[in-house]
Amino acid sequence: MASGTSEAASSAADLKLQFAPFSSALEAGFWHQLTQKKLDDYRLDESPKCIKGYYYNGDPLGLPTRLTLEFSAFEIDGPTPARCCSAIGTLYNTNTLDAFKTTDKKALLEKEAKEIWEAIQSGAALKDPSILSRFILLTFADLKKYHFYYWFCFPALCFPEGIKIVQQPSMLEQVFSAKQVSALQEAYDGLCIKRGTTAVPYFIMKYTDDAVQMAALEDWDAFFADTKKVTVGVYDPCTLSQHPGWPLRNLLVLLAYRWGSKLDTVGVLCFRDRTLQGSRSIQHSLIFQIKLPELLHNSACPKSVGWEKNPKGAMGPRMVNLSECMDPKRLAESSVDLNLKLMRWRLVPSLDLDKVVSTKCLLLGAGTLGCNVARTLMGWGVRRITFVDNAKISYSNPVRQPLYEFEDCLGGGKSKAMAAVDRLTKIFPGVNAEGYNMSIPMPGHPVNFSQATLAQAQRDVEQLEKLISEHDVVFLLMDTRESRWLPTVIAASKRKLVVNAALGFDTFVVMRHGLKKPLLGQGVSAGADSSSSCSSASSSSSTPAGSAPTVPGSSLFSNIPGHKLGCYFCNDVVAPGDSTRDRTLDQQCTVSRPGLAMIAGALAVEMMVSILQHSEGGYAVASSSDDRMNEPPTSLGLVPHQIRGFLSRFDNVLPASLAFDKCTACSPIVLDHYGREGFNFLSKVFNSSHSFLEDLTGLTLLHQETQAAEIWDMSDDESI
Amino acid sequence: MSWCGLDEQSFHLCCQLLLQQSEQLNDGWSWEVVQGSDEGYLKKTALRVVNINPSRKWDLEGLNSESETQSCQDTERDQSAPVSTDDADDFKGNFDEEVVEDDSVCSEAAGSSLVLQYEYHILFSCSYSVPVLYFRAFTLEGRSLSLEEVWSSVHPNFRLRLQSSPLNTITLQEHPLLGQPFFMLHPCRTEEFMRPVLQEAQHRHRPVNFVLTWLSVVGPVVGLEVPLKYCTLLRPAASPD
Ligand SMILES: [Zn+2]
Repeated sequence: MASGTSEAASSAADLKLQFAPFSSALEAGFWHQLTQKKLDDYRLDESPKCIKGYYYNGDPLGLPTRLTLEFSAFEIDGPTPARCCSAIGTLYNTNTLDAFKTTDKKALLEKEAKEIWEAIQSGAALKDPSILSRFILLTFADLKKYHFYYWFCFPALCFPEGIKIVQQPSMLEQVFSAKQVSALQEAYDGLCIKRGTTAVPYFIMKYTDDAVQMAALEDWDAFFADTKKVTVGVYDPCTLSQHPGWPLRNLLVLLAYRWGSKLDTVGVLCFRDRTLQGSRSIQHSLIFQIKLPELLHNSACPKSVGWEKNPKGAMGPRMVNLSECMDPKRLAESSVDLNLKLMRWRLVPSLDLDKVVSTKCLLLGAGTLGCNVARTLMGWGVRRITFVDNAKISYSNPVRQPLYEFEDCLGGGKSKAMAAVDRLTKIFPGVNAEGYNMSIPMPGHPVNFSQATLAQAQRDVEQLEKLISEHDVVFLLMDTRESRWLPTVIAASKRKLVVNAALGFDTFVVMRHGLKKPLLGQGVSAGADSSSSCSSASSSSSTPAGSAPTVPGSSLFSNIPGHKLGCYFCNDVVAPGDSTRDRTLDQQCTVSRPGLAMIAGALAVEMMVSILQHSEGGYAVASSSDDRMNEPPTSLGLVPHQIRGFLSRFDNVLPASLAFDKCTACSPIVLDHYGREGFNFLSKVFNSSHSFLEDLTGLTLLHQETQAAEIWDMSDDESI
Repeated sequence: MSWCGLDEQSFHLCCQLLLQQSEQLNDGWSWEVVQGSDEGYLKKTALRVVNINPSRKWDLEGLNSESETQSCQDTERDQSAPVSTDDADDFKGNFDEEVVEDDSVCSEAAGSSLVLQYEYHILFSCSYSVPVLYFRAFTLEGRSLSLEEVWSSVHPNFRLRLQSSPLNTITLQEHPLLGQPFFMLHPCRTEEFMRPVLQEAQHRHRPVNFVLTWLSVVGPVVGLEVPLKYCTLLRPAASPD
C-alpha cells in the first residue's frame, strides 16, 4: 500500500495507481419505488431500465465512497441533489431468483464496457463524460417475503499494466499556496455557474502561481494549445488520502486513448469539496502525477471489471430483508408493540410488558363480554387468544358484539368462536387466535340421554381440561351461571388464574377467583387447606402463622391473601342448576345496558393486567375500596378481588370475600372428588339436580330461606 | 404567559431564512414539495458511522440500552446480508469461471463500522403550532432501522434525558405528507422549552429564527448537528454586547 511520500522515491518506479471502488448505497425509498414500479409498471417486463444515482465529494473522512440511489432513481430527468454528480445506470430486474442467479454477469459487464469504449472512440465521451461513470444494477424483488437481491457493477476499463504514479498523491494545501487554493475554488465555482450546474464531474485545468483556469473536457485542444503541462480534474467521491475514487478510472482510459501518445505525464486533481460546521474546504483535495499508458487506436475494447463485492469481501450479490418496514403485517405488529412500549417509556417505566404480551388467554364465551375482552386483550398486545363458544351469530348480535357483522348472521349464522378468530386475525394478523365450537357441560343439564351424549360430554370435558391446562388465564364470560361451574372447578384444581365477568341489567361483577395454594411443595398440608376454606367469621384466626393478627376494628375482609379469596360460587347459597329452565320469561329476555359489557369486559382485562404486574400474581392480597388512598401494590395500582359496578349510580366498589368452605365449586370436598373421580364425579353433577352438590358440600344443612341476593347472569344474548 | 408557538406562515418564513443560510453554509437543507400539493418540508440527509459489536447489536458507545434491546423480540438480526456462502457459487452462475484480476483496486476498505444514512424532515404541526422533526435511518442496503436500533444510536446522555426531559421521546409515526413510517420527536413540549428562549430573545431585542433555535435544541438528540455559524449569520457583528 502506498504510504508516506518519504519512501516514495525508492519505490516510485513500481507504484501503480489504485482506485477506491464505489460502495452501493440504497435508500429505503429506492426499494419502495422499485416495488411500486414492479407492481404497477414493469410487471413481468425484464427489459433493461434506465435509472439514476449520484455521488458526492464532500464526505467527512472515514466514509466509504458511495454511489447512492434513492426513490428518485427512476426519474431519469429529475433533479440531482445539489453539489452531487449524477451517474446513469441500467437496471436489470429479473422475475425470478433463478433468472437473477443465472443472468450472465460477465456479458452484462462486457456490454456496458463496450458502450463506454465506443463512446471513448467516437468522442461522445468527451462531450458528455457522464458516460464514464455508468453503472449496472441487477435485482430480484421477492415481494412475498420483501427480500431484495441485488448486485451492483461499476464498469471500469483496465490497462493491462496498470497506471504508473510519477508523483505521489499529496493534499492540495501541500502543493498549492493559499492563493492558488482560493483561485482554484473560484475557478471551479465559475465553471459550475458557466455550465449551469452545482457540480462538474470532469474538467481540465492549468495554473500559475497566482491564477487557475478551468475548462470543460471537450475544450481540451484549445485549452492546452499553449502548454504541455496538463492537469485533469475529477470530482472525487473518495475520502482516502492516497487513493482516488472510481470515476477517475475510465477518464484515464479516455485520456490515454486520445492523447496518450502525446502526453508524457498528466497531473490529476481529485477535487474534494466539503463543508464542516459551515466552513468550506477544498485543501484536502488530492493532487498527483501519473504516466499514461499508451492505448492504440485500433486496439480492441480493454478488459473490464466492476462487479461489487459483498460485505464479506467476496464476489457475490447482496440481499436485504425489508419485511419489517414493508410488510404491512410486520408493520402492524411493530406498531402495536411500540404503542405499548410508549406507555412504559412515558408513563409506567416499571411496567413488565412481556408478562402481559406473553400471557395465554382462554375466553370461555364469545358473546358481548368475550368480544370486548378480546379487543382489550389485543390492545394490550396479548398474542394468544382462544375462544370457546357453541353459539351461532344471530341478527341481534353484531350491534353489541364488536367482532361480528351482519354478513356473519346469514345462512343460519357462523359459529361465534370461529368468526371471532377470523375477525381478530383481520384486525391484527400477528395474533395467534384459535376457536373451539363446543359446549361446556353444566350441573343439572343431564348428559346421559344416550351413550353418544355421554361420550360427547366426556370429550368436551377433556377438551376443556386440556385448554385450561394450556392457558395461563381463564376468562369466564358466559351468559349462564351454571356454565361457569365446570371451568371454575377445573381451573381451581389446576391452579389457574380465573377472571370472571357477569352482567345484570345495570350492574356487573368482575372478579378474580381465589388461587388455591400449589398442590405440591410447602403450604399444601390439610391444615393450610382447611384454613383457607373458613368462613369470614373465622378469618382472624385463620391468618397464616407468623403474620400479624387482624387489627381489631379493621374490616374483616381486609388483607385477604389471594389463596383465601372466594370464587364466583362462594357467595351462593344454592348450587348451580338449570337456571334457563327455572327463569321466568321476563328474566330470560332481560338485557343489560349496552355499555355494560364494554365496561365489564375492559375491566376484566385491566384486572388481569394488574394482577400480572403484582409480584405475587394471583396470590396477591386483595385491595379494597379503602386502599384507594394507600400506596398501590403495583405500578398500575390496586389489585382488587372484585369490582362491582352500578351503572345507575356510575359507581364501582371493590369488595373482597373469603372462600366459603361449603362452596359448590371451589371447596376442598368438591375439588377432592373431582381430583379422585374425574369425569365420573362430574357426570353425577351434570345428571343430578342441584341438591347433589348441596348435599355433598353440606349446603343443604345450611340452607336458609333467603332468596338469592342477586342474579348476576342475565343474558342479552338469547333470542326469544 | 404569552403563547410561544408559531403560525404556519411564520414557519415558512423561518424555513426560507434557514434555507438561505444553509445554502451559504452548504449545510444540505432543501425544500421538498409533495407532488400534487402545495405542501412541503425541509429535508436533509446525513451519514453517520456507528461501530458494530460482534453480536451485530450496535450502538454508538458500546452501551447496552437495558431491557429495550432485549425485549425487541429476538428478531433475527440478519436482515441484510451477503447471500450465504453456500449459495454464493450458485449466484455467480457462469460469472467467475474466468476471475478477472484487478490489481488497480484499493483494498483499504471500511473496517467494522457501519454507515447509516439519516434522513431528517422538518414539518409544521398544525395541532401543536410548532415545527416537528421527523427522521428515519437506514443501512447502506436500504433497510430501515427499528426503533430499538435508533434508540440505541441515541447518545446515552440524551437517552437518559429523553425519558424524563421536556423533549420527550422518539416515537414511530406516519409521515403526514409521505404516509411512510418515520420516527419523530414528539412536539407536545416544544412550546414549553422554546418559551424561555424566545422571551429572553424578545427581552434583548434579538432576532430569533424559531425553527433554527428549536432545531439546535432537538437536532443533536438524533445526531443532527446545527453549525454554530448559523447564529453568526443571523446576528452579524452589529449586535450589542
Ligand atoms: Zn368458591
